[in-house]
Amino acid sequence: MRRALLLIVLCSITLAAQQGPPVITSQDLMDGLKDPTRWLTYSGNYFGHRHSPLTQITPENVSKLTAQWTFQTGSLGSFQATPIVVDGILYVSGFNNNAWAIDARSGRQIWRYRHNVPDDLHVCCGAVNRGLAVLGDKVFMNTIDAHLLALDMKTGALLWDAKLADYKMGYSATAAPLVVKDKVIIGMAGAEFGIRGFIQAHDVETGKPAWRFYTVAGPGEPGGNTWPQGTDAYLHGGGSIWVTGTYDAEQNLVFYGTGNPGPDYFSANREGDNLYTCSLVALDADTGKVKWHFQFTPHDVHDWDSTQVPVLADNVMINGQPRKVVMFANRNGFFYVIDRVTGKLIHAKPFVTQTWAKEISPEGRPIMIPGNQPTETGTRTCPDLGGGTNFMSPSYDPTTGLFFVTARETCAVYFTWEQPYQPGVQWESGGTQRPRDQRNFGALRAIDPKTAERKWEFQYTSVSSSGVLTTASGLVFAGDGDGNVMAFESRTGKNLWHYQLGVAIRSTAGTTYMVDGRQYFLVPSGSALTAFALPQ
Amino acid sequence: MKRIVLFPALLFLVSSAIVIAQGGAQGVRSDTLPPGKNPHLGNKESVRNGMTLYRWRCGECHALDATGYRGPDLTAVLPGMPDERLFQVVRQGVPGTEMPASNSPDDELLQLMAYLRNLSTVAPPDTPIGNVEHGKQLFAANCTSCHRVAGKGGRLGPDLTRVGAARSRTALVREIRTPSDWVPPGYETVTVVTKDGQKIRGAKKSEDVFSVQVMDMRERLQGYIKSNVQEVIYDKASLMPAYPAQRLSDSDLNDLIGYLTTLRGADVTVQ
Repeated sequence: MRRALLLIVLCSITLAAQQGPPVITSQDLMDGLKDPTRWLTYSGNYFGHRHSPLTQITPENVSKLTAQWTFQTGSLGSFQATPIVVDGILYVSGFNNNAWAIDARSGRQIWRYRHNVPDDLHVCCGAVNRGLAVLGDKVFMNTIDAHLLALDMKTGALLWDAKLADYKMGYSATAAPLVVKDKVIIGMAGAEFGIRGFIQAHDVETGKPAWRFYTVAGPGEPGGNTWPQGTDAYLHGGGSIWVTGTYDAEQNLVFYGTGNPGPDYFSANREGDNLYTCSLVALDADTGKVKWHFQFTPHDVHDWDSTQVPVLADNVMINGQPRKVVMFANRNGFFYVIDRVTGKLIHAKPFVTQTWAKEISPEGRPIMIPGNQPTETGTRTCPDLGGGTNFMSPSYDPTTGLFFVTARETCAVYFTWEQPYQPGVQWESGGTQRPRDQRNFGALRAIDPKTAERKWEFQYTSVSSSGVLTTASGLVFAGDGDGNVMAFESRTGKNLWHYQLGVAIRSTAGTTYMVDGRQYFLVPSGSALTAFALPQ
Repeated sequence: MKRIVLFPALLFLVSSAIVIAQGGAQGVRSDTLPPGKNPHLGNKESVRNGMTLYRWRCGECHALDATGYRGPDLTAVLPGMPDERLFQVVRQGVPGTEMPASNSPDDELLQLMAYLRNLSTVAPPDTPIGNVEHGKQLFAANCTSCHRVAGKGGRLGPDLTRVGAARSRTALVREIRTPSDWVPPGYETVTVVTKDGQKIRGAKKSEDVFSVQVMDMRERLQGYIKSNVQEVIYDKASLMPAYPAQRLSDSDLNDLIGYLTTLRGADVTVQ
């Protein structure tokens, strides 16, 4: 009996030793890129900087970057995810609810998980997925049919499956989840189908919902008076979340940009500011209660979701005073710097050509230029529905204090018509056309948040949806709309290197990590991941 | 969220149309027109739904009034197209063009067709307007060096083998009288100046920040790395010369368009 007991104890000790400590802790996530060999969250750190401390690849040697390996999914559908990197292993999601673990040294697949995609999916823009989140030894994944999954990091096995909403009503989940402490936070997409958007937190261990914040305020709730009273407009009011938010641990606040109101272009049935659509919301990470909000585009009629990454920074000198700010390059064409504590505007200036607002008032409200409402016969407005920028991630380099963003110079003719709401049916009540004489193009722009003025730009021949990555060695990595991935000198915008990938980068940017003392630059584009490094 | 412009606009339009089509509601998806009369024909509600579907999925390329934009003028195409063919084109797309296939349920396509059949169309006349034979001679004398018809002619300009089915008379007049008003992608004028001063003029086939691909006036395809050339000059004027009334009388224009409207596709099947 005593011998049997000893055996059990020994086995338990051995098992415990084999399982080891959790792979990723909450502190690891808090530390962001303190260990720059890893990349643990969507934007690299909670502040949304997408700025790596790695310095092996420099402006002097970047021209020698060489492709090391390519991973192909073997199926159609583009990557939009930022891969997570944990100790030499990549965790990445792709089109049609797929997720992979891949050897970061060689590009070889370790495991693959696929969640079924229903045949009767209702989505506006494909079965896309923008990435995973990690904590402990779990990988968290949203699905296009509105589920949140936890997978075993070692095997890809499903641990729990939480249904978020009814995909048949147009709900979908495309953004990478955000893990904060013991919660995994997700957002709901589907404004083009008349959903009522929300941000929701789940327990990381069980998947049980902990709190929900509706991005469309209901009757009797704060902001509920910004929707027509006595109607059900708020139930179909949109407010999608489809890009991952950021987190300020000091204030325990999560920041999310919210999507357009529904329907997109016809607004007679939703008179009012339509809170909290096209806004930045600061939510208590433990309760989901809104601390403050800032609405960029009240009563939007141009489909200008504010679902861009809110980038946080400390010690930004404004009029000689260091300020804690959130920076937001908005789809409506303005770059905003907002006090992160009070939610009050510091300043806002256009970062692309725009024709709809004279300026942003000191209170943060756009002063409208008349004649920009969509009509039956069409109204020309800049930017187009794709906006001044969009879901592509910006980057902030705290050492130079510059904000880098992919800008879009576009205009469109906006049309609108009345269309009744039908459950599960696309509901935009309008559309756009590109004017024939309109030359659209894109650019990488560096903006100084102290003044909201542009420091430099590099123009592309076409519009781009590429995110931006910066490194402490003074490099900016970005892509154009024609399939080139490029490196620039961060202080000047001088182009230093390019490589034709064959398909443009979309939504995500390159990631960088270190394995075996070698810095890799990894680019998702099309259905491939391509890893670059300096020759050995 | 939605339809975020990514690639060049045309590619985006195509991909978004495919994506939207793939995201349709439940229902049967047939390869060919379902048997029996279209139940939506003449139904006010169906026509309205069809209009909405058209504006989402078709209007970007074919224009909201269906008179053609980047894609063909449907008011000119539809009269000669039976329902079977129309269903097939929408379902399967048109290979070799930007027209994508659709995975939408049959019911949605039938509503779309009910709307299209409600449009005010411009049927091609049984007998073409103008002197077709004279129009053909004018075409041979002025156009064939750059335009191809049924495998004969130049390739610097667009192939016109199906232009009679794809363009309304109004669109043809505009494109002959004032071709520089809008030059389609793939035919914009560009001149590459090499480092030794040589000038290569032609149609820009593609371009990015670092390179440009050109078909020169002798139809030679060539790519150039921009850092290896002196200059790339962009010209808003089309390579196609304008034909104002002084150069091409209204009567001759009428004859030329009469000929062009007879060009409705060639059978390229190898027997």
